Amino acid sequence: MTLLVNNLSVLLGGVTIVRDINLSLEPGEVMMLLGPNGAGKSTLLRALSGELPFLGQIVMAGRQLVDWKPSQLARRRAVMPQKVDVNFPLTVEEVIAMGRASTSKGKPDGIIDRLMVELDITHLRHRMVPGLSGGEQQRVQLARVLGQILDTSGPRLLLLDECTSALDPAHQQLVMEVIQRLAREQGIAVLAIVHDLNLAAQFSDRLLIMQAGRCFREGTAPEVLTQSVLKAVYGYRARVISLPEGYPLVVPLGSGDAQLASGKPSCRQAS
Amino acid sequence: MIRDAAGRFGYTPALIIVVCAAVSIALLSVASGAYPLAIPDILRVLAGREASDPVASLVLLEVRMPRFLLGFLVGAVLAVSGALLQGLFRNPLADPGLIGVSAGASLAAIMVIVLGGTWLGGWLEFAGEWALPIAAFLGGSATVFLAWRIANRSGQTQVATLLLSGIAINAIAGAATGLLTFYATDDELRSLTFWTMGSLGHADWDDLLIGAPFMILALIVAPCLARPLDAFLLGESVVGHLGYPADTVKKAAILVVGLGVGAAVAVSGLIGFVGLIVPHLVRLVLGASHRVVLPFSALIGGTLLVAADSLARVVVAPAELPIGLMMALIGGPFFLGLLMRRKVV
Amino acid sequence: MRARILLMALSWLMPVLVQAEPTRVVTADGAITETVYRLGMESLLVAVDTTSGFPEETQSLPKIGYLRALPFEGVLAMRPDVLITSEQAAPQDNLDRLVKAGVQVETLPMAWTPEASLERIVAVGDILHARPQAEALVTELSSKISRVQQDAANRVKRPRVLFILAAGNHSVMLAGQGTAASALLDTVNADNAVTAIQGYKPASREAILASQPDAIVIAESTPGQFDINKWQELAHLDAWKSGHHMVADSMLLLGFGPRLPEAMDALNRVLPSGSAVVNDDS
Repeated sequence: MTLLVNNLSVLLGGVTIVRDINLSLEPGEVMMLLGPNGAGKSTLLRALSGELPFLGQIVMAGRQLVDWKPSQLARRRAVMPQKVDVNFPLTVEEVIAMGRASTSKGKPDGIIDRLMVELDITHLRHRMVPGLSGGEQQRVQLARVLGQILDTSGPRLLLLDECTSALDPAHQQLVMEVIQRLAREQGIAVLAIVHDLNLAAQFSDRLLIMQAGRCFREGTAPEVLTQSVLKAVYGYRARVISLPEGYPLVVPLGSGDAQLASGKPSCRQAS
Repeated sequence: MIRDAAGRFGYTPALIIVVCAAVSIALLSVASGAYPLAIPDILRVLAGREASDPVASLVLLEVRMPRFLLGFLVGAVLAVSGALLQGLFRNPLADPGLIGVSAGASLAAIMVIVLGGTWLGGWLEFAGEWALPIAAFLGGSATVFLAWRIANRSGQTQVATLLLSGIAINAIAGAATGLLTFYATDDELRSLTFWTMGSLGHADWDDLLIGAPFMILALIVAPCLARPLDAFLLGESVVGHLGYPADTVKKAAILVVGLGVGAAVAVSGLIGFVGLIVPHLVRLVLGASHRVVLPFSALIGGTLLVAADSLARVVVAPAELPIGLMMALIGGPFFLGLLMRRKVV
Repeated sequence: MRARILLMALSWLMPVLVQAEPTRVVTADGAITETVYRLGMESLLVAVDTTSGFPEETQSLPKIGYLRALPFEGVLAMRPDVLITSEQAAPQDNLDRLVKAGVQVETLPMAWTPEASLERIVAVGDILHARPQAEALVTELSSKISRVQQDAANRVKRPRVLFILAAGNHSVMLAGQGTAASALLDTVNADNAVTAIQGYKPASREAILASQPDAIVIAESTPGQFDINKWQELAHLDAWKSGHHMVADSMLLLGFGPRLPEAMDALNRVLPSGSAVVNDDS
């Protein structure tokens, strides 16, 4: 098991933002975090990436998170924050190489080339990052984050906070396919916050939907993405169509008169 | 091939150019001054032989050499400190002078001068001739820390807050300095003018002996922080994600800046703008990676200050301009130009 | 016989004991520069400092900077045999180095009494090998000084004088205790009206009104700098209204150089006469 989270709670300024979260990730598994704004998704992710103090247990590859040496942990756990502002004239290649600093001493190597090809940024190699579009910057940061753990052996964890938010639809598909394939091939466990329900349905093995800091429902896409759950969590009226591809499609029906719903949280573990 | 694919200078040609410039400016600086020295005399003295003018070796060995070395070290340390602060605050406008570090260091130094006879007598007795540089170091470090605490909100540095707090810190230090001048005797007042104007005019081997260890230590430690500082450019949280101890790096950088700027202020007073101009130029030409910015800033900063100092002592010869004034004349317009042309802050 | 041997030995030693006559002189102190001119030795001067603005001819000489921030190379570049300056000269490092470079550095004590001022003239004379001229000047000056002092001694009560230093348009300083200004007042049997301040401190308008002086002296660092219209509270003082005030150059008043008798005389003239003071008190 790559990641095991037990009764995780996070308090910020005396307020409980995340409450009693339990989850586990196997190697190669892609789990996506859903939930309305302010549900505590990013806070959960920041606790997992070691930025916030927490209550409960986080176990990475059989060892408590706090027991890891930072430099060793960095080769097994990579984090992509929601937004990375670069104010300095760094080239695309330099930024990606930062993720490789501990393995390749920052020199351009094969992995950087490969990731740039996969994420369609080879043509940007020598461009300055501050001059790139939001979507291009997102792919550059993703390449840096992937490069950090790609050639480590053993269990690895990738934490992504809205890594496709600025991408056009074609690049969203491309990026999610790359992530999914690398997870499968390399046995990397992925925990990603996503807002696009259909993207989540298409690329995740499991979904965890949060509401008010708690887990509302956990399971496969068909289990979690139901009309009633969406109404309860988001107050979102939608039709859910089961596609022949094996995952559901969520079709919005407008906000209508639906208000924030009051569904009872019942975190069901998928078998 | 001079420029690489990113439109930057290659490191090797850049290094050759910078070293050539540094060496020629060093020679020029050693050869220029109010007292005319013949080039053959300079070469003879540097080779350890007797010069035809007996005063030549005194001027060269007792005045120009320590002055050149001190100027180079101070310039290098100020430029490197500027680069460290800019990385730490993720802002190209951070500068030891602008955010008040130099003022904090000089206030501490002035306190030692003025209150050394009364309140701080014990400190002077305890620390001896190191009292001044150590006080300046403590003052400098405390100010960096203060600026950090004020401007940093949940991992993000507020640029406006940083510069505004710099204005406030400079104002407070200025006022406190003014207050101290009220209690200063005439003799002490003379020393105070030296601090506020910045000068290398009295540089000798003793100054070098006291200031150099601090400054050299700062210059040695700084490059060790290059990689984590690169990560700082992506955000404070990214530093931790990449496996660097963000807090340790931050504290180390603050100490290095306090050490370097404190020692620089202790031996040469307030000299502004070196830390702003030099790293900026290096980034423009060679890129923002600290593994490049730090060493090149040291070289170019030292060279720039030595050049400015040479200029300061020939333009109004036989009198001299304070070097702080000279740098402000060069740096002020440069800073304004930077503000007008900037695309990103 | 023994006397003759001694004399012979002395004549042998003389060239060693006495420095060779200087041919290139740098002065760094306004009063000392004035002295060189009064001794008629100005042809020896190769450079002066920025406090040396009198007489007018000093303007054509190279300036080596401020005497409290003397540049080593700047002075050395003038290749002087001797640098004559006062205790105010700084930094000491540079003076030490000039000595090492073979320059004779003469640091004369500050002169804040007529006696010290005359001694300093003799000292400058000795350095320049112009003792007779110096003695003649001292005789002339001391008779002028004693004339002024005799007149001043006639006053029954020492008048209290407000002494103001105008250095810039808006910067006006009060001269307190322990200043050359206080020393000058003392030479003409007068007291400083400002007793609570040491040194020169920025003038508070209220302090000026509260001082209630018998006379007012304003020392300007450049002529015509002081404008009474900007300092109405001065004009309101009785001393100003009754004409007991003067405005003069600060180097003249505070230099304690060869113009000291002039300064004392001018100052003495604006002080209320002894009878007037007695009348005021009664």
